[in-house]
Amino acid sequence: MELSRLCEMQGISGREELVRMAIFRECAEVLGEENVKIDRVGNVIAHKACAKADAPRVMVAAHMDEVGLMVINAADDGLLQVRNIGGIDPRVLVSKRVKVGYDVPARDGKPAQEALSGVIGAMAIHLQSAADRKNVLPIENLYVDIGAKDKDEALAKAPEGTPVTFDTPSSPIGDGCLLCKAGDDRVGCYNLLRLLHAEVTCDTWFAFTCQEEVGSRGAYGAAFRIQPDVALILEGTTANDAGDPDETQKVCRLGKGVAVSFMDKASMAQPELFAEMMKLAEGSGIAHQVKMAVAGGNDSGPAQRAGCGAKVCVLSVPCRYIHSPSTVLCLEDVEAQYLLAKAYLTR
Amino acid sequence: MFELLKTLADAYGATGRETKVANVIEGLVREHVDSVRRDNLGNLICVKNGTDPNGKRIMLSAHMDHIGFIVAAVEKEGFLRVAPVGGIGLNVSQTRHVRFENGVQGVLVRQPLKEGETAAMKHFYIDIGAKDAEEALSMVQLGDVAVYANDCFRLGQHRVAAPAMDDRVACALLVSLLKDLPPVRDTVVAVFSTQEEVGCRGAKTAAYGVEPDVGIALDVTANGDTPENKLPAVKLGEGICVKIMDQCSISNPELVQELLTAGEKAGVPTQREVLPFGGTDAGSMQLTRSGVRVCTLSIPCRNVHSACEVIDLRDVEAGKQLLMEYLRG
Amino acid sequence: MDIFAYLEGMAAQHGPSGQEARVAEWLSERFRPLCDSVTIDALYNVIAVKKATLPTPDGSPAPKVMLCAHQDEIALMVADILPDGTLRMGSVGGVDPRILPAATVTVHATGEGQSRALTGVVGALPPHLMSAQDRERNYTRDELFVDLCMAPEKVKKLVRIGDLITLQGPAVRLLNHRAASKTMDDRSCVGCLLLAAERLQKMQHMCDLYFVCSSQEEVGGRGAAVAAYTVDPDLAVVLDVTFAPTPQCPPDTTCPLDTPAVTYGPYVQHRLLERLKQTAKENGMKLSGEHAERWTGTDADDVQIARSGIPCVLISLPVKYMHTTVELLDMDTLSECGRLLALFLAGIDEKWEDGLWN
Repeated sequence: MELSRLCEMQGISGREELVRMAIFRECAEVLGEENVKIDRVGNVIAHKACAKADAPRVMVAAHMDEVGLMVINAADDGLLQVRNIGGIDPRVLVSKRVKVGYDVPARDGKPAQEALSGVIGAMAIHLQSAADRKNVLPIENLYVDIGAKDKDEALAKAPEGTPVTFDTPSSPIGDGCLLCKAGDDRVGCYNLLRLLHAEVTCDTWFAFTCQEEVGSRGAYGAAFRIQPDVALILEGTTANDAGDPDETQKVCRLGKGVAVSFMDKASMAQPELFAEMMKLAEGSGIAHQVKMAVAGGNDSGPAQRAGCGAKVCVLSVPCRYIHSPSTVLCLEDVEAQYLLAKAYLTR
Repeated sequence: MFELLKTLADAYGATGRETKVANVIEGLVREHVDSVRRDNLGNLICVKNGTDPNGKRIMLSAHMDHIGFIVAAVEKEGFLRVAPVGGIGLNVSQTRHVRFENGVQGVLVRQPLKEGETAAMKHFYIDIGAKDAEEALSMVQLGDVAVYANDCFRLGQHRVAAPAMDDRVACALLVSLLKDLPPVRDTVVAVFSTQEEVGCRGAKTAAYGVEPDVGIALDVTANGDTPENKLPAVKLGEGICVKIMDQCSISNPELVQELLTAGEKAGVPTQREVLPFGGTDAGSMQLTRSGVRVCTLSIPCRNVHSACEVIDLRDVEAGKQLLMEYLRG
Repeated sequence: MDIFAYLEGMAAQHGPSGQEARVAEWLSERFRPLCDSVTIDALYNVIAVKKATLPTPDGSPAPKVMLCAHQDEIALMVADILPDGTLRMGSVGGVDPRILPAATVTVHATGEGQSRALTGVVGALPPHLMSAQDRERNYTRDELFVDLCMAPEKVKKLVRIGDLITLQGPAVRLLNHRAASKTMDDRSCVGCLLLAAERLQKMQHMCDLYFVCSSQEEVGGRGAAVAAYTVDPDLAVVLDVTFAPTPQCPPDTTCPLDTPAVTYGPYVQHRLLERLKQTAKENGMKLSGEHAERWTGTDADDVQIARSGIPCVLISLPVKYMHTTVELLDMDTLSECGRLLALFLAGIDEKWEDGLWN
């Protein structure tokens, strides 16, 4: 599936059904339905064996979910109250367009559903006090307006629990970059789907996980089921390279290749595996960089510590403005992530 | 005991980089146990088979890792910017001698703070004597970890100070126990665990593999016998501590009683420990599979997580005797 | 089951997190007549099994459902014995220090190899001797002490560091079928499990039921995590208390006292939740909703990630004055929670998983 299309699909944490079914179908097409499973918490797990006996068990994981919002109530005037699902800085929300509910095609005799459009407004600047201008509007004071007249209409159209996603069509931007929502981590899903075709030399388990953004919930079960020796996590990660931050604060840079992490909040890369990744990238001329910060968590934590444990390493595509409606990533970095993961699986 | 402790305290073994200290320990215990293996997280798992095939499996866990500073960036002038690995105290880290796994030495320095700034890790750098970034990167790499440089010395008659006392003193206790333990009924699995300082990660996977019936963590604990330190109410030199509770585990009450009784039978002093913070490998072991009865034996330690952690050798000896008695049943 | 009699019984039990041997034994006795087997595991979880009473039409194994409510309670512990014989306290779970000044407590002393229950009073520096500024703030736990009103030598003989201190809070009947006591959190929900088990004696069910009174919830879902590993269920229903409205509570954080609540959010399987709501609707029951954008703060957080993952739903019983010794609830709501649970379980068949993930 195209990356731009994957990013446009809707799937906040816990409500990944559309992404899950699309990924399931593609996995089943490539590897046969008998090698693909949706597990009890909603991960898609696909298996590709290799001819080699005693090949190491390798899990390659990417998460399907994205950050978004969830309706929790409506005010009397019909404005929807929401809470963020996953980490969203409320400062990126004001004046943005969103989709309330999902676009669901007709199936099993049920009619198609269409998501509602919504906007997140704010008091006009003219009416703001000096304090209003300075203070951040917390999520409790931000509302999604779908044009409803009153509370009853609002909750009839968007009951409590309704998922809300950014409304961002994917589009090319600048020199070889993509502007999208949900780049974290549809980019990993995209590369994982491409890797289904690789002639792997390890016992390879592809894990498309759910609920990463609310604490890597899916990865616990996936890793326990797979019990890998090695886990590679394909992620999107924060780039802090635009503007004029200190050189040492940049974390990673767009266009400089796949970012390999030595440590983040979830895990430390296994030192030999980390070294092997660097060597593979250097040997094959794959653009790569070391992620220069101990920040962020991801599926590597549960993957490392399920059962008897696994050696882990995280390979990330740098994303500017991550967890916002306007994520920017560089297509060459996406390719580098694919090539490095492939180099490991086929070495 | 001091020589053994010094050997272990001097070995390099930062959190996530425990191979070297594991090699040292493996060399010391191999001939005293029935099998040795390492798992994917680098845990060193040593098994001493029990005489009764229906005996219990008792896991004893002491962690090998030592808090440190991981190189996250290099300034063009050759200074290394670092992030903490484990619970680093900034106040005790100013102008410290540090070393890397490959032997490179450095000085950890805090730059002057601007007005209104509160000290944070980002204000620290390591000076390894490099003239620029290029030279620095020929000496160390991004992701290398520095620890407080080894400096193990006697303090008075019974006490010893060293940077990696947490938890090499417990490793020393466990090594010494394996050497002297006669055959016993139950199978003893001594785990020298990894990555305790970042959340007891090694013990979690080790315990899953070991499947113990009983888990006992060996670790250091804080002290309540120095100026303005009140809790936990334990003192250096007054015996091995049997932990009742900390933030990560509540010891099994029956096991606490069994260990206290063993101490009494062995004729060694014990102290009862209630720690309002912190945690040990017992927290990880307890939650393994269908649940494990756990307790922690702690050695009181002053200045925990500094370059001068101080213990009393008599407490270590008491811990060893207590465990010998417990295992002999 | 006489609900108030049960509440009186449970409030008389002492079962701080990690030291639940006795309360586990007491609860086991309640489940024994209603279930096929009852066991207590290494962490003192009570696991009571009631096997399916109907075969699945296609002969497939009966779905396994775990029902979970926690039995432990917050408490205090002797952290130090001061020179004058008063006791410094440590906390087992989140004890609000505001409820402590002038409270009477039970110190479960274990000195001299004997168990003794001693009554103590929580004391502090009197306000007359405090600065005006200090009088404006609450005491912290470190400033408070337990006074046994005994000579220090005697205290040191009878009491040891690590001895438990529990709060006293017997059940009291209030107007309109309401009741208050300590440990409504969460033994009132264990009562819901018992009520459901009782109703199911007269109903048919196709699933195997595993009632779990979990341990150590107040220190982080520890019992539920290992119980879920042992039981290895296909799905789970967790019951815990939630906040009923009291003055000054922020809006959107409370649920009405007279209605069972269900949680929605990523940690709850949304199709199972729809099914639960449908069950309530078909049986004329009102439900209120509670959002959890991330963790639920209940055993569900730990059950969901056990083994290969377990889909969960969460039913909440609204309680006022949480984590005090006068937790207040509506006994009719408690009864409704039990009924909802029984009806939901009776509806689980071999097709429960259909359509869960698309």
